[in-house]
Amino acid sequence: MSINWSNQAGRREFLKRMGSLAGSSMLPFAGQALAADSINFFTWSAAVDTVKSHLTAFEKKYGLQVAHNMAPWAQYRDTSITKFVGKAPIDVMWVSDSWLPEWADAGWLAPVDGYADLMKYNADTNDFCNKSMQYKGRQYGLTYYSDFMAFLYDSEKLAKAGISAPPKTWDEVVQQSLKIKKAGLSEYPLMLSMARETWLIEFLTAMVYSHGGHFVDDAGNAVMHDPKKGAHQTLQWIVDAVQKHKIISPACVELGELLGFKAFSSGNHAFALLPRYRVRPLSDTKQSQIGGRVKQALMPAGPNGSNATVGWMRFYGMTAPAAADKTRAANAVKLIEWFGGKADGQYKFQKLLFSDGGSAFGVKSLFGDPEIRAEYQKYSDFDMFEKQQNLARKKDVVSRWFGEWDEINGTAWQAAVLGKSSVADALKRSAQTWNDLKKQS
Amino acid sequence: MNAQTRAARKSVHHTVGAYDQKAAMLFLTPMVVVLGVVAVFPVLYSFWISLFDIKLSRPHRTPFVWFDNYARVFQDHMFWDSVTRTVSFTVMSVAAILLVALCMALLLNEEFRGRRFLSAMLLVPWAIPFVANGLMWKWIYDSGYGALNGILYQLGFIDKYLVWLGDPDKTLPLIANAFIWKAVPLPTILLLVTLKSIPSDLYGAAKVDGANVWRRFFHITLPSLKPAFILVMIYETMMAVRHFDLFFILTEGGPADASHVLSWEVYAETFRKLSFGTGAALAYIMALLIFVIAYSVIRTLGNKL
Amino acid sequence: MANLGRRALLLIASIAFLAYVLAPIAWLVSSSFQSESELTSKPPHWIPHQPTLENFATIFTANDRVVTYETRSEGVTATSGFVPSTAKYLLPAMWNSFVVAITVVVLNLLVSIPAAYAMAKIRFIGRTSSIYFMLVTRVIPDIALVVPFFLFIRKLGLLDNLLSLIITYLAITIPFSVFVLLSYFESLPDELDKAARVDGCSRLQTLLRVFLPLAMPSLVAVMLFSFLTSWNEFLLALMFTQTPAAQTMPIIVASFTSDFTISFSFINAAGVVAIIPPVILAVVFERYIVSGLTAGAVKG
Repeated sequence: MSINWSNQAGRREFLKRMGSLAGSSMLPFAGQALAADSINFFTWSAAVDTVKSHLTAFEKKYGLQVAHNMAPWAQYRDTSITKFVGKAPIDVMWVSDSWLPEWADAGWLAPVDGYADLMKYNADTNDFCNKSMQYKGRQYGLTYYSDFMAFLYDSEKLAKAGISAPPKTWDEVVQQSLKIKKAGLSEYPLMLSMARETWLIEFLTAMVYSHGGHFVDDAGNAVMHDPKKGAHQTLQWIVDAVQKHKIISPACVELGELLGFKAFSSGNHAFALLPRYRVRPLSDTKQSQIGGRVKQALMPAGPNGSNATVGWMRFYGMTAPAAADKTRAANAVKLIEWFGGKADGQYKFQKLLFSDGGSAFGVKSLFGDPEIRAEYQKYSDFDMFEKQQNLARKKDVVSRWFGEWDEINGTAWQAAVLGKSSVADALKRSAQTWNDLKKQS
Repeated sequence: MNAQTRAARKSVHHTVGAYDQKAAMLFLTPMVVVLGVVAVFPVLYSFWISLFDIKLSRPHRTPFVWFDNYARVFQDHMFWDSVTRTVSFTVMSVAAILLVALCMALLLNEEFRGRRFLSAMLLVPWAIPFVANGLMWKWIYDSGYGALNGILYQLGFIDKYLVWLGDPDKTLPLIANAFIWKAVPLPTILLLVTLKSIPSDLYGAAKVDGANVWRRFFHITLPSLKPAFILVMIYETMMAVRHFDLFFILTEGGPADASHVLSWEVYAETFRKLSFGTGAALAYIMALLIFVIAYSVIRTLGNKL
Repeated sequence: MANLGRRALLLIASIAFLAYVLAPIAWLVSSSFQSESELTSKPPHWIPHQPTLENFATIFTANDRVVTYETRSEGVTATSGFVPSTAKYLLPAMWNSFVVAITVVVLNLLVSIPAAYAMAKIRFIGRTSSIYFMLVTRVIPDIALVVPFFLFIRKLGLLDNLLSLIITYLAITIPFSVFVLLSYFESLPDELDKAARVDGCSRLQTLLRVFLPLAMPSLVAVMLFSFLTSWNEFLLALMFTQTPAAQTMPIIVASFTSDFTISFSFINAAGVVAIIPPVILAVVFERYIVSGLTAGAVKG
């Protein structure tokens, strides 16, 4: 240490240094105090530059400051909860449809149906999105983006294996995969992500719906363990695919959506289940090795199933503390409209998001927009997009206890895939947990 | 003569180590204040929370339930499974740490050229942040492109890439390996210092008596190392039981709960299930476990206190 | 002959030692110099065939700029491919980590040294219990403390302020520091204290002029430990900091893996940049750490 403690000068020097250090670290604190006048916008770290550019325009137009904070998607729910509990300042935030009941019941989100400025967009938003933002009769936000789980394939691999058309049923998926495997084109032709993360429920639900099953019936009771109506066929198919046919790698339990996307883009697989917006980066030769040959097909159907898939949406929510304060609420409404509604008379952000990252929207009129169509046609089939979109349904497991059940369910499915548990046992465990949690609430 | 010297003169009549409450209080105050405010309050508050049934998804009803949470934890098979996994992880890690540290200490105890360099490199694993350590090993264990797969494949031990972290049978040992790698330097230093303090005449006398290398090792070296072994064992056990970061970065308790240890259970209960009451109770049970171990440490070094 | 055998054995053992300790890091470094496409080859290229500095360039040239419609980089793509959107925050985060760590070190010394001295050299009521008190505060696992700490920090209005981390890390590092210093002070003979007092020193002067210079190794060990603990801490920093203005290095590095794009080469490069300061410190001060941590800890 270069400070000489034993003399006066040294001690003075130390105090000086501490003072400047305290000063510099107080600066963010001072900044935070001023930020009380600004809008606190909390998101996960996606489309950062797109968001930031739109924010710059917002700040310019309204003369309001926006403090934009982010957390990684994988930690978003956890960090949000800590913030809620600690009453950290957040005004507007991105929310996933799965968490709406949980956060609304906990009193963290405030309904926005009192603001005509926002509700007027409902007419131009598709039903699926509107319904997903409603809970107990109140609406909680405007759509950020909406998309569905798509079935993608590498046309080159299919062609090389002598397959003329993509599979229409899950049985055909098995057959075609075996053919591709035999031809030495791919070790594990189907990429299915089974890591226990936020994405898992979307993958599973897509598989369950296309097999004609459900997790939960209309009354909200668990039916996943029902061999006819439930997820039994689905899980059995996956287990067979991993263990019997060996067309899905046993490493799938390690594979999250991100790694799965990367693996598919490296050309390791012929088929993949991925969020539809991934088509955009997959088609880009700068980022993907299968650029130019990735195509979307309708979700294969199970024996008693259909081409249905799961759709999800994320929305802009207003926090309860913000709603309680008149000024904050008014500012929050402006921000939500700017992003989730129209900015300067146009659906600017939605279009930006679509062209930058390929993310879809909930806005009905944009589907008919020729620009959008032309842009999409550059790399993929717009008709297929629409077709599958119309068959997308929302998850049936969205409830207040979803977060907790999701963990158990995911682990149970993993156990079955790894052979540590039978299919029946895994689903029974999942159903049991669901019913228990339902009873407790 | 100023007041300071006068005071010093006065206290000279007492022996050092004598009763001097005032000075002690003065010196201790900063520490007590800081720890009291920043450490004690959260600890007590945490305990308070554990006496309630708090589920964030149901914020309007938070009944006071005495020790119900604790009772419920002990009846939960998930808890006991976590304990089993924690024990398994801890035993694996501590045994390996002792073994590796001993080998390294023995090596560093020898005199040879380059020993200084080895010594300097020793602390590198200890210094790197847990996050970096986790990411580094995650990359090495990667089933698709990892170095572990690569090296085994190139050396011909396997003919195709294997699943590592995703294989529930391999998960805990692999995490333990990452933990051990980072933990080894400190015990090595401790063992080394102890080795150095063994008087060389002991070895000299034994050699004269005709004892060979192995006998010298078993009859002189190992017994002298015993106190150090015990210290390392207890410290590393504490560290292994409460370790969280690697489980968070590498596997998040999976796959299929293969790495769902006690510290992960606390996290999952608090942040995934939003059950703050039971989460706090679990944490206190864990703390009790660690406290018992810590107490043993103090008793071992008891003569100094 | 025996000598040759011994030397051969030592050589093999040394190589094994270095391999164990350094190989994983060597691979980290090698990965950071490879482009994404090279990094994903099977089997891996142990030494980069086409070494590139582009990963590091991205870290060091990323900067904060006002993003407008014209200047935004396209969503998930940047010209170099997969670059996490938080890349530009790595260097500022390292600076934050550095500021926090240095402050913690300084304050740690200020608090721990007097306390350890008192506990080692002075007899007073509550001596044993103060030692227990100090150790007990470290028994609770950190996860359990997140929510209470968070509420406490919030009440002080220090959310998203580096001071919150400094205070928290102080609480974490003080017990260990006191413990180490305590052991070391106790190993110093009592006569020194006596002699100094006879010479007319007050307790404070004794501490500063006599004991501190002698305790240099353990001081260095304590400083290094506090620095590294603050530098490496992850969970609490994640919960307390909200904006890149106050986020520390582990948060940013962790965020790279859960971003919507993923780049192994970039993550490795970030890892390298993140470990350089602690590794340098550890290597340079290794000698002090050895003597500082273990004096009097175990009597043979």
